[in-house]
Amino acid sequence: MTILVKPRALFIGLSLLCLLAVWLSLALGPVSLPLFDTLRAALRLIGLPIAADGLEQAELILGQIRLPRTLLGLAVGGVLALSGVAMQGLFRNPLADPGLVGVSSGAALGAAIAIVGGSIFGGLPEAFGPYLLSLCAFIGGLGVTALVYRLGRRNGQTHVATMLLAGIALTALAGSAVGLFTYLADDATLRTLTFWNLGSLNGASYARLWPLLLITAGVALWLPRRAKALNALLLGESEAGHLGIDVERLKRELVFCTALGVGAAVAAAGMIGFVGLVVPHLVRLLAGPDHRVLLPASVLAGGSLLLFADLVARLALAPAELPIGIVTAFIGAPFFLYLLLRGRA
Amino acid sequence: MRLSTHVAALCAGLLVSYHAVAAELPQRWVSAGGALSEWVCALGGESKLVGVDTTSQHPQTLKALPSIGYQRQLSAEGILSLRPQILIGTEEMGPPPVLSQVRSAGVQVELFSAQPDLPTLQANLQHLGKLLGAQDRASQLLQGYQQQLEQQKVRVTRAQLQEKSPGVLMLLGHAGGKPLIAGKDTAADWLLQKAGGHNLAAHSGYKPFSVESLVSLDPDVLVFADRALTGDAARAALFKENPILSSTRAARDGRVIELDPTLLVGGLGPRLPDALKSLSEGFFPGSAGQ
Repeated sequence: MTILVKPRALFIGLSLLCLLAVWLSLALGPVSLPLFDTLRAALRLIGLPIAADGLEQAELILGQIRLPRTLLGLAVGGVLALSGVAMQGLFRNPLADPGLVGVSSGAALGAAIAIVGGSIFGGLPEAFGPYLLSLCAFIGGLGVTALVYRLGRRNGQTHVATMLLAGIALTALAGSAVGLFTYLADDATLRTLTFWNLGSLNGASYARLWPLLLITAGVALWLPRRAKALNALLLGESEAGHLGIDVERLKRELVFCTALGVGAAVAAAGMIGFVGLVVPHLVRLLAGPDHRVLLPASVLAGGSLLLFADLVARLALAPAELPIGIVTAFIGAPFFLYLLLRGRA
Repeated sequence: MRLSTHVAALCAGLLVSYHAVAAELPQRWVSAGGALSEWVCALGGESKLVGVDTTSQHPQTLKALPSIGYQRQLSAEGILSLRPQILIGTEEMGPPPVLSQVRSAGVQVELFSAQPDLPTLQANLQHLGKLLGAQDRASQLLQGYQQQLEQQKVRVTRAQLQEKSPGVLMLLGHAGGKPLIAGKDTAADWLLQKAGGHNLAAHSGYKPFSVESLVSLDPDVLVFADRALTGDAARAALFKENPILSSTRAARDGRVIELDPTLLVGGLGPRLPDALKSLSEGFFPGSAGQ
């Protein structure tokens, strides 16, 4: 694969793109704020002593609505893209997606249980209620992934092909369970379930944001340390082993990071497809398959892509809002087809 | 002289406070809930509405207003961009973080119950009347509504003395295809009962049915609500997509009644009594016009 862009140029470019995405995400929205007010409110939020006259609305919209939403978009996009790289490295297949190890379907099952069965848990303490959906989705994603990983292990070895097939089987099983909950749901919960499956950054609040930010930071700091090992894995499992890499440990870490990262992202924002698949590809097209570049660059590219998609989601039909999953799939699916067909020409 | 100054002062005071109250009433409304929007219009507040959700389909003029999306999936900034002073909705409105964001922006958020019963409606109407400054109109509307439902009850009891309650199935579909059957604990079931019909479906919620069990229940009357089509087109589509329906007694006797599906969401709306009346006329053809 040819390298179109030097790593340094790529990082500078992606950082600028990311800054642009953050700025647009903070500056644009259904409520049109004067640019100057946005700037002053942003400076006030950082803590600079600027007079508050007439800035109440700008500060509220910036601080309570757009900033948590922007952070959520960055974290979700970044961690989904990272997990995509991890999965494509683990399966040594560019078509791999974080959903392959069952984390998405597990999270969907957890969410369906929370949404449809929520009334059964009615006796839970008040403070717990709003987070039930996120918790169930997170636990569901982690649980199903753990099961897939267990099924892929034999004699102390993880068989990637078995794990892949186990992932497909458990995804189907979780899908049928979600179907059963869909059947049991009444009209209102059915709508909630449908919208959850399309994902949204809407209603982001700091309380939901912190766990995701911590996990994203952890995954984003940890995975790049394993970039060399991932590069070696590209050669094949035994080859990587001969190069002195503990392949079993690497696989365990990749699956764990993906389950944690995607689980947290899905718990915070619902299902958002195609980011984990498309972003690593994009970066690989530009800068080649070296994981030392691919991993950090994917974080920046994933975050930026999701912020741009969210801008479309909230501006296209304002004052109503599109679920962001529709936008990412709308961009992602044609791109995926292009990748598939490009090789044939 | 002294007395009259006092009286004048009192009058002036009352006038001022009255105006103050009127000025404090919210003037820019956003409504997320079909039946609520209808009531706001019925109370003369249509000109105050600046945005409605996708379930607000009646009166037709509401469709010209900006849409804030589906009531359970609202966007805080989208709503704020309409600069409302009040947001009303049922307990289905959400998600909760968005509501608290809207609230913290200084918008009054009022929640109403969508429970389909008269005490709830009474409370809702009184509350709405107060918020719109139309208490008198609200109690008039409520009185009329109660009367109509009372007449409906009498009509049904009288009819049931002369005729057997018909067995009814209520089909909710989209352009005729794969209709869902309304079971217990649905707004549709409540409607059928109030109109004097006997709902043959015993499950709860809206569920798909196999055509065989549909035919074996052999309904006397079919009520259908179609989300895509209306009138004869909807009727034709229903029988074209489900030919087996033509063999039911309801179809043979030509007792197939159409219902507006928007009546089934968001609690008791102002169009309900008329809908009930026409339903029970279809259920008890012998007693119609009494």
